[in-house]
Amino acid sequence: MFTNLKRKAFQQFTKTETKRHGLNYLFWECTSRCNLNCLHCGSDCSKQSSHPDMPLTDFLNALDTIENKAPHFMVVLTGGEPLLREDIELCGRELRKRGVRWSIVTNGMLYNAERHNSLLNAGMGALTISLDGLEKSHNWLRNSTESFNKVDNAITLAASARRLNFDVVSCINKQNIDELNEIYSYLCKKNVKAWRLFTIAPIGRAKNNSKLLLSNDEMKTLFNFISEKRKNNEIDVKFSCEAYTGKYETYVRDSYFFCRAGINIGSVLIDGSISACPNIDRSFVQGNIYADNFNSIWDERFQPFRERQWTKTGKCAICSDYKKCKGSGMHLWHGDKSEILVCHAEMISYK
Amino acid sequence: MKQNLLRKIIGGLSFASVLFVFQACYGTPQDFGLDVLIEGQVKSKASGEPIKGIKISIENEGQNQLSDDNGQFSFYTVAANSYNLQFSDIDSLQNGYFEKKDTAIAHVNEKIFLEIELDPR
Repeated sequence: MFTNLKRKAFQQFTKTETKRHGLNYLFWECTSRCNLNCLHCGSDCSKQSSHPDMPLTDFLNALDTIENKAPHFMVVLTGGEPLLREDIELCGRELRKRGVRWSIVTNGMLYNAERHNSLLNAGMGALTISLDGLEKSHNWLRNSTESFNKVDNAITLAASARRLNFDVVSCINKQNIDELNEIYSYLCKKNVKAWRLFTIAPIGRAKNNSKLLLSNDEMKTLFNFISEKRKNNEIDVKFSCEAYTGKYETYVRDSYFFCRAGINIGSVLIDGSISACPNIDRSFVQGNIYADNFNSIWDERFQPFRERQWTKTGKCAICSDYKKCKGSGMHLWHGDKSEILVCHAEMISYK
Repeated sequence: MKQNLLRKIIGGLSFASVLFVFQACYGTPQDFGLDVLIEGQVKSKASGEPIKGIKISIENEGQNQLSDDNGQFSFYTVAANSYNLQFSDIDSLQNGYFEKKDTAIAHVNEKIFLEIELDPR
């Protein structure tokens, strides 16, 4: 009864949030250039991107259309690799002048002591660094022999800053699933406070690489590991918000699954497209900052994100958990959207 | 206002204060941290001219910055009760030669502007 009440209150909460759709988390895909060539890259970034970096003024013009920003509204600079832009600090300072908090997601390759200092000086308040295993498995996925040493240094720097709300994210795959405990110990030693784990969806370069995708048993191993580690508070370990997790809900995260893409999360992509999380299929784009008013698009469009009945198709149409899951993560819908790419709850329900 | 209250009550009923704290799949944690903006200008006590290249360091935070062509500096740092700032001439004779100076500041509320004068050596 207690659990049912909690669940019902949560469902009501998600309805209220959806109706309200307050934007408080805005991605800016400020570059599609990247200095790595990861095996799992889903965003088709490249060292020489066909898209030039978006000028800061273009993004600020879009940002300035947002009236009455939410109290904790923030901009997350992503890419590509955002630190390839030499003006990230200038971008950050312009955001702070507007009272906007900002953060970056980085692969750590360019995150040295000098850059750490200049980013803090420019008012960066949060940071996510990607680490995909111990040295061998990380370098394998990142396709670079230098990557682990660089990211190790970046983590040391980030963990030393009192100001930063910092976490490490890891893409779990067949190469690192057996070293979860060792990665955990490594992160404890590095004084990391938060660790978020992902799985890799069969999109982008991961689509045809079976070494990247977890089996049903490996998915259970991952969820059991997270559930177990959450019992002690050495590090705040959690599964990312990528998918509904069936019977593991609340054991692998702080609350029930709720995909906030297009509800609280928006994005300005490299070509000016307006969407939600950058990893969502580009067919969901709702407008473009070079043709539309960002604020109007956010207020008046985004129906596929806010009314998700269309996801009740394929296996989701007959699923008894649909009310709790609502089609799982938006990034799991591609192509003609007739079937979800991966159902995590289904994977862990096999005996 | 009423809607906000209702939202908080429903959120509270689902026993998850974390509902209002989230991060997107490929995003960063939210930033609820407090910080302050420390700005200022460094001048020569003798000539009143701005000094370029003075290193401004914050004790215990590992942050530093060099003053620009106009002797100005500007950086954000974690909110604290007090700060010890150190002003050092690290480029020797290049932009004049100045004595080191330590400055303690307290009760910074969001931002502060400092005017610092350094004695020539």
